[in-house]
Amino acid sequence: MADVILKPTGNFDLTVEAEVITPDNFAGKSADEIGKLLVWQGPEELPLANFFSVEGNGGNSAEDTTIIIDGDVSRVKRIGQEMTAGKILVKGSVGMHTGSTMSGGEIVVEGDSESWAGMDMTGGSIHIKGNAKDHIGSAYRGSWEGMTGGRITIDGDAVSQIGGGLSGGEIIIGGSVKHFCGIRINGGLIYVKGNAFRTVGAEMTGGTIVIGGCIERFLPGFTMEGVESDLKFNDIECPGEYKKFTGDYAIPQKGKGTMYVSCDNNECL
Amino acid sequence: MEALLNTGSTIDEGRLAKGGSKYTDDYTKECAVCWMCAEDFTSLGCPEKVAVISRDRKYSVALSTKVTEAMRSGQVFIPRSIWANVVVEPDTFSTGSPRYKGSPVFVEPTDDVILSAEELVTKMYMGGK
Amino acid sequence: MVYKNIICPVCGGSCDDVQVNLDKENGTIDVQNACKMGSAKFKEVVSSHRLLKPTIRENGKVKDVSWDEALEMAADILVNAKKPFFFLGSETACEAQEVGLHIAEYLGGLADSNATICHGPTVMGIQESGMVGATAGQAKNRADMIVYWGVNALESMPRHMSRYGVFPRGYWTKRGRFDRTMMTVDPRVTPTAAASDLHLQLNPNTDYELLSALFTILNGKEPHPSVEEITGIPISVMKQTVEMMKESNFVAIYVGLGVSSSYGKHRNIEIALNFVKEMNNYTKCNIGALRGHCNVAGFNQLASYLYGYPFGLDFTKGYPRYNPGETTCVDLLREKDVDAAFVMCADLMDHIPADSAQYLADIPMICLDIAPCPSTTAADVVLPGVIDAMECDGTFYRLDNVPVYFEPFTDSPFTETKSNEDTLKQLFAKVKAKKEA
Repeated sequence: MADVILKPTGNFDLTVEAEVITPDNFAGKSADEIGKLLVWQGPEELPLANFFSVEGNGGNSAEDTTIIIDGDVSRVKRIGQEMTAGKILVKGSVGMHTGSTMSGGEIVVEGDSESWAGMDMTGGSIHIKGNAKDHIGSAYRGSWEGMTGGRITIDGDAVSQIGGGLSGGEIIIGGSVKHFCGIRINGGLIYVKGNAFRTVGAEMTGGTIVIGGCIERFLPGFTMEGVESDLKFNDIECPGEYKKFTGDYAIPQKGKGTMYVSCDNNECL
Repeated sequence: MEALLNTGSTIDEGRLAKGGSKYTDDYTKECAVCWMCAEDFTSLGCPEKVAVISRDRKYSVALSTKVTEAMRSGQVFIPRSIWANVVVEPDTFSTGSPRYKGSPVFVEPTDDVILSAEELVTKMYMGGK
Repeated sequence: MVYKNIICPVCGGSCDDVQVNLDKENGTIDVQNACKMGSAKFKEVVSSHRLLKPTIRENGKVKDVSWDEALEMAADILVNAKKPFFFLGSETACEAQEVGLHIAEYLGGLADSNATICHGPTVMGIQESGMVGATAGQAKNRADMIVYWGVNALESMPRHMSRYGVFPRGYWTKRGRFDRTMMTVDPRVTPTAAASDLHLQLNPNTDYELLSALFTILNGKEPHPSVEEITGIPISVMKQTVEMMKESNFVAIYVGLGVSSSYGKHRNIEIALNFVKEMNNYTKCNIGALRGHCNVAGFNQLASYLYGYPFGLDFTKGYPRYNPGETTCVDLLREKDVDAAFVMCADLMDHIPADSAQYLADIPMICLDIAPCPSTTAADVVLPGVIDAMECDGTFYRLDNVPVYFEPFTDSPFTETKSNEDTLKQLFAKVKAKKEA
C-alpha cells in the first residue's frame, strides 16, 4: 500500500473544488505529478500544490493507494467524487459533495461533513465520525432514485433530507436527525439510533427506516401494523422493541415502505 | 421569553419601501416593531421596547412593542425589513432561502435605542464606517 | 398629461390599468387605480430623494462622480474579483437581467435573483413534482373556491383579491364574491384571514404535516391522530376542507412564503403540488404562487430558458450549474465564498440575515438602484437606476408567468443611459475591454 499525504497549506479564502483527489487519479503518479493536478477555485484552475503539500507517491493502482489528508478541509469540495477503489482518510472536516457518486473504496472523515456526501453512491463506504449536514446519501436534485449501494455511517448528528430517494445500501446514524430523513425512499435501510424531529419517511414507497429514539412529530400517513423486537438486517442489529408502521399513505403511489419506531421512546404513538 | 419569529409584509411597509422611504422615521415606526399577544406582553412586564435575540445569541435588535390579537402566545411577528432580518436564522437547509418564517428567537425587555435602517446598516453591518 | 393602461412595476400582480397624470413642469404626478404600494412607487418619478448622480466610496468617503468614472470603477471591481457574484434583482425588466446573466457567464461568476430569498423553494418544488397551473384569468372566470395558503394577499398583493382572486365577476362566477368560498391557512390572524369564510390557524412550521394529512384523507385513509396536536387543526376540519374542495367546480390555491419559507420549504410545496394533481381526479384544481416583485417570475423564466436553471446559477466552471444551498446568495455570502458583488434593483442588504449582510458589506459592492437604502449605503459604487414601466420599455413576467410588455410614459432622467439594460450593456463593454486588454 502506498500512502499519499496531503497537508493543507492555505489559500482557502474561496472554496476549492477538488474532484481530482481520488485514489483513481493519484495511482501511478509521483508526489510531484500529484501536486500538478488541477483543482478549481472560482473560475480558475490551479495546481493542487497551491493548496496542499504532497508527500509520497501513488500506488500502482487505485486499490493500492491511500490518501491521507492531514488537516481541516471544510472548504474543499468533492473529495473522493467518483472514486472506485482505495482509501481516503481525512483527519479533519470535509466540504460538500465528499464521495458523491462513488462506486467503491472507503472514505473516513474524522471531523464533520458538509452537505451532499455520498450523493447517488453505488458502492463503497463513507464513515463520518463527527456530524453531517443535509442530503447525505441522497439523490441528485429532481432525481427519484438516489444511492443504490454501499454504506454511509455517521457517528454524530445529521440535519435534513438524509438518504432522500434511497434505493439500496445502508445509512446508519449514531445521533439524531432533523427533517425529512428518508424522504421518497424506495429501497435500502436507514437506521437512526437517536431522535428524529419530524417528517421521517415522508412519501416513502419502499425500503426500511428504523428510529431508535423519539419522533417528535409523526407523519399522519403511516399505519401501525404490530410490534417486533430485536431487528436484524444482515450485519446491522437494532436491539429493543419496535412499533412497525407502513406508509406513506399520504401519496397515491402503490408501494409502501416499513418504518420501525422504538416502543420505549414513543409511547404516545 | 422564547418565541417563534414570523416575518412578512404589511401594507405600509410595502408602501414605504416601494416609495423609497426606507430612511424615514415612518419606516422605522412601521417596521422596527415586534408584534405579540397581550398574554406574552404582560408576562414580559409590559415593556415599551424589547430586544429580539437570535437563537445563538449572536445578534440582537431593539424594537418597540405592539400588542395585537393577530398573534398567539409564543409567536411574534416583525414586518419584513432590515430589523427582522438581523435575527432571522441564516441557515437555509440547502434551499437557499433562510428561515423568514418560524425562526426561534428570544424576546426580552430592553432600554436600548431603536436604530434607524441607516444606523443599523452602518453600525451593525459596516462596523461603524 | 394623462396616460392610461400603464403597467405597475411593483408586485407580481403587474396591474395593467393604472392611470397616470404627470405634470413635468411642476414635478407632480397623480396616480389612479394603483394600490398604496403602486402609488408610492409612481411618485418616485418626481421624488426628491431619487438617486440622480453616480457615487463612489473612496477612503470611506462617498463622493459624486461622472457616469464614466462610476462605470470604470464598477468594471474594475468585477474584473479584479476572483469570484464575482451578481444579484440581478426583480424590480427591473428581463432585458436588463439578461445582460447581467451574460456578464456573470463571461466572468465565470455566480448569478442569483430575488427568488432565492422568496419563492425559490416553490420553484424547487415545481422541479420535483411538476405543477398544475392556470393563468390569473382562468381563476378569475372559473374558480369558486379560493385558498390563500401562507399568504396575506391583502397586504402583499393588495389588488389580487379584487382583480383575480375573490371579488371580480367572472364568466362562470357572475356574482363575484358571492359565488366564491374563500379559505385562508395562516398561523396569524391576518387581514386576509379575517376576510375569509374559513381560517385554518395552524401552528407555525406544520404546513407539511397538514398537507400530508389532507392528502391522506383524499386517498381515503385515516390520518394518524397525532397530527391534530402537531398542526392544531382537528381532523374533522381537515375532512371538511377536503370535502369542500371536492365539491367545488374549480379550486384555485395561492401559496405564499408561509409555505415556501417555513420549515420544510420545497417539500411543503412539493406535497401541495402533488395534492393538487390528485385533487384533479375529483374536480378542477390548480395552484400558483403570489410572487412578491414585478419581475421575480421573469428571472426564473429567463434563466431557465437561457441556462437551464431558474436561479442560483454558478458559471465558475464555464457551464451553468445549480445547487441551492451551495450556489445561492444567502449561502455564498454566509460562507464567504464570493469576493465582490453586483446588486441590481433589489435592496439585498435589507433582506438577508445578519451573517450574510455583514459579509456583503465587507466585500466590494456595486449597487444599481433608484432610492437610498441600506444596500446603496454599504455599496462602493452606486449607479442610479431607471424606473422600468415608467421611464423605459421592457418585459415583466406576471405572477402566473405570463409575459407582459410595458411601455413608458416618460423618459429616463439621465442623458447617459436610457434604461438599466443600457447601463449594463455599457458596463459589459467596459468589463470586456478590461478583461481582454
